[in-house]
Amino acid sequence: MRLPTLLAVIFALLLLSIGPSRALSLPPSQEFTLDNGLTVLLTPKHDVPLVAASVVVRGGALVDPPGKEGSMQLLAELLGKGAGERDARAFVNAVADVGGELSFSASTEALHGQASFLADDAALMLELLSDALQRPALAQGEFDKLRERAIQSLAALKDGDPRALLDVYGNAWLFRDHPYGRPVHGSEASLAALTLDDLRALHRSRIGADRAILSLAGDFEPEAMRRAVTAVFGSWHKAEGEPPEVPTAVRPQGPRVLLVDKPGATQSYFWIGTLGAAAHDPASAGQDLVQTLFGGRFTSMLNAELRVKSGLTYGARAELERLSRPGAAAWYSFTRTDATERAIDLGLEVQERLHHQTVKEDDLQSARRYVIGQFAPEYETHGQIADALAMLALYGQPRERIERYTEEIAAVGPAAFAAARAVFPQGRDYAMVVIGDGEKIASTLSKYGPVTRMRITDPAFSPPPADGNRPTR
Amino acid sequence: MNDSPRRLPALLLALAALAPAAFAKPAADSAPAAVPGAGTLAVRTLDNGLKVVVWPDHDIPNVALYTWFRVGGRNEYPGITGLAHFFEHMMFNGTSTGAPGEFDRTMEGAGGSNNAYTSSDVTVYQDWFPEEALEVVLDLESDRMAHLAFDPEVIESERGVVYSERRSSVDNDPMGALFEQMQATAFVAHPYQFPVIGWPSDVENWSMDDLTSFYRTYYAPNNAVMFVVGDVEPDAVLEKIEARFGRIPAQPAPRAVTTVEPEQQGERRIVVEKEGIQAPMLAMAWHAGSARSDQHLPLQLLLSALAEGEASRLHQRLVERDGLALRVGASLDSGFDPGLAWVYAVLPPGGDAAAVEKAIDEELERLVSEGLSAGELSRARKVAEADFWRGLQTISGKAQALGSREIFLGDHRLLFDEPARLAAVTLDQANRAAASVLRRINRTVGLIRPSAAATKD
Repeated sequence: MRLPTLLAVIFALLLLSIGPSRALSLPPSQEFTLDNGLTVLLTPKHDVPLVAASVVVRGGALVDPPGKEGSMQLLAELLGKGAGERDARAFVNAVADVGGELSFSASTEALHGQASFLADDAALMLELLSDALQRPALAQGEFDKLRERAIQSLAALKDGDPRALLDVYGNAWLFRDHPYGRPVHGSEASLAALTLDDLRALHRSRIGADRAILSLAGDFEPEAMRRAVTAVFGSWHKAEGEPPEVPTAVRPQGPRVLLVDKPGATQSYFWIGTLGAAAHDPASAGQDLVQTLFGGRFTSMLNAELRVKSGLTYGARAELERLSRPGAAAWYSFTRTDATERAIDLGLEVQERLHHQTVKEDDLQSARRYVIGQFAPEYETHGQIADALAMLALYGQPRERIERYTEEIAAVGPAAFAAARAVFPQGRDYAMVVIGDGEKIASTLSKYGPVTRMRITDPAFSPPPADGNRPTR
Repeated sequence: MNDSPRRLPALLLALAALAPAAFAKPAADSAPAAVPGAGTLAVRTLDNGLKVVVWPDHDIPNVALYTWFRVGGRNEYPGITGLAHFFEHMMFNGTSTGAPGEFDRTMEGAGGSNNAYTSSDVTVYQDWFPEEALEVVLDLESDRMAHLAFDPEVIESERGVVYSERRSSVDNDPMGALFEQMQATAFVAHPYQFPVIGWPSDVENWSMDDLTSFYRTYYAPNNAVMFVVGDVEPDAVLEKIEARFGRIPAQPAPRAVTTVEPEQQGERRIVVEKEGIQAPMLAMAWHAGSARSDQHLPLQLLLSALAEGEASRLHQRLVERDGLALRVGASLDSGFDPGLAWVYAVLPPGGDAAAVEKAIDEELERLVSEGLSAGELSRARKVAEADFWRGLQTISGKAQALGSREIFLGDHRLLFDEPARLAAVTLDQANRAAASVLRRINRTVGLIRPSAAATKD
């Protein structure tokens, strides 16, 4: 089924010394644009009788009105609560009756619709997606229920494993008033301020074909699918408002520490971040190798030190969030309360070692092999392929970005690697968040920088402004 | 629901692993489609009893290698609870030929990644790697099946890792804490009462001798089945496995688990009070059959209609209509011995647990007295059919699907006619399963809520 292209064969020869002899080759896609501006990507793949859809609408939490964080996420959830001729119950029944999956959510920069249906039900899938995006009921009763549940769910989430919220607090603390700091799901306070009229306005001004991408992958014939998509989405209107522009945030200078007090917590969960890299960063391949060696796999520097050698934690990781502008570059771990200082100290030592120690060729080679060896399974299912191609289109990148990725990884040498390390925090220039039992760890944390304190039960993910310095929105 | 993975998974995975998993329910319609490639499997049982199943799939240039050992929490006893899971960690920590850490360094350096999980029934080791790494990975796997070694310092360090895992999955997770207590209450005789992660005092006290004897007993080739799915040629792979694993000696069959849980004689109720939480959670667990029970598939479909997804009865009643719960879910244990059928509801802060219980009881009574509708059964089948195909999209999904049928049902080939078996489930079977399992005297009801001190805050 996968016939390597000539290019793939050439890459394969280049890669012989370091990785798979067969490069990943995605199934071919058709791409076209409807008159209303909708970008459509069709990628047939006939291995199992399923079809997946991924809709991406540019905007996301970036267009949440000030003080009403969580708007786009709530709108996304409301889209599936009745649309077209169906009320909320009829809509979920229509999906379930054919064993389908259909959901809408928001991310920082987009609204996402994702669906997976049996191939025989592809027409119904398109109809439901199109109804939800173009003709949502946006009913008051469903809005009231969803909003209340969203507020309560945040409280319930705070009861559970703090890993679920660590990066929400982390991004809010790192980016502060920059739009990337906004909690995509909102906060208890911001959700309480939301009205249905806000969401109706958001739908009119921000959801439209002109800024949307529809990516389909799976068991279908492209010509028939093209006709069906054109019929169903051809009349989708354009959005009224301008797409959002976002500036690059400022990298933190000097340390700042946020303690999120969770009384009774038996572990401390810590996150140390700075401004990282954007989706289109030309040094991406090198940065990905740095992330791998620093905290992206089991034998990474962080996991080796904090878990394997010292038994302090179940895991330690480093991650890069790539958006249209640089997102967070952060590492995080957790440990028993009385070991908090030891674990953070060790992690910071590892962070400094990353920046000051020259990478060994063996380690660099190991990282290259690992990233290349783990790459193909990211493009295995219809849903993975549909999503990946939609996200490339969102960020204006060609599909060769995927097909040439392993080649780029293979080409990263020691100098490029050394330069790419700067993406992670260094020295004392960081934003640090610690969720834990404040009574037991507050005094320890002051050594890492000035400490601001809040409670996990506070209805926002950022501390209230201490004085007039921080503008409120 | 007891799976305890070794690695720090991606966050969502971690949370999903703690929630009762969605049913892996293969299914079908009147004319089930054939599984592509079902005729290409190769199977060999080596002289030492190691069974190997190979399913070639050349979609991507990668391989999934899953090794299933028939050992889990049910093989433990007081004093060594959690040992199967701890052992899973130790399988990565050194052999007589490779120092601690060497396994992971070699595998990752060859482009592979790995994980493992332990349940009450089994321990499963998973490797994902580019096909070029096949020989390296087989060397590593055969080495640790034959020559595992225990370093006292590493044992102590790994205790700390498991403790951290326990703090995250039980102490700092209300659902984990509640299910652990309910499991321990629902079973009074059978070892399913032990948490897979282990009771804390046992985590502190198991010894080198416990590990050594566990290894000899359970990590024998005749107690394992290996699944290789992906970009391989079956004959070549079988030869490579024969050459590496063929000389590992078989061991006497492990002692059978013979304890049968006596029939429950009345409802059991527990309350867990926890400091620092806001949202209560209510769950019910009924004794049900093993994976091989005739009732297993009907019960899966029944629970799906009852509490899986937004169209389900309990979601519509508790979440949408009454606004009493934030979400509901269900799961069915699927092991060697009779396990539990679970239903749970997450309440909002200050939620009314009595009202939730009353509403669930009303829905259960209605289900038992009136039965499922034909439409609900048809929907549950369709959901199962789509999930069946979703599970077969990836090489790791195929390895998992083959393994669970081989280990729990006795034959991996049952995967391929599972759509037909699901299609054959009748309304009558589903309704009889409801009447025989969802009885009040057969259940344990558990509630976790903020401790009295915390509610005053």
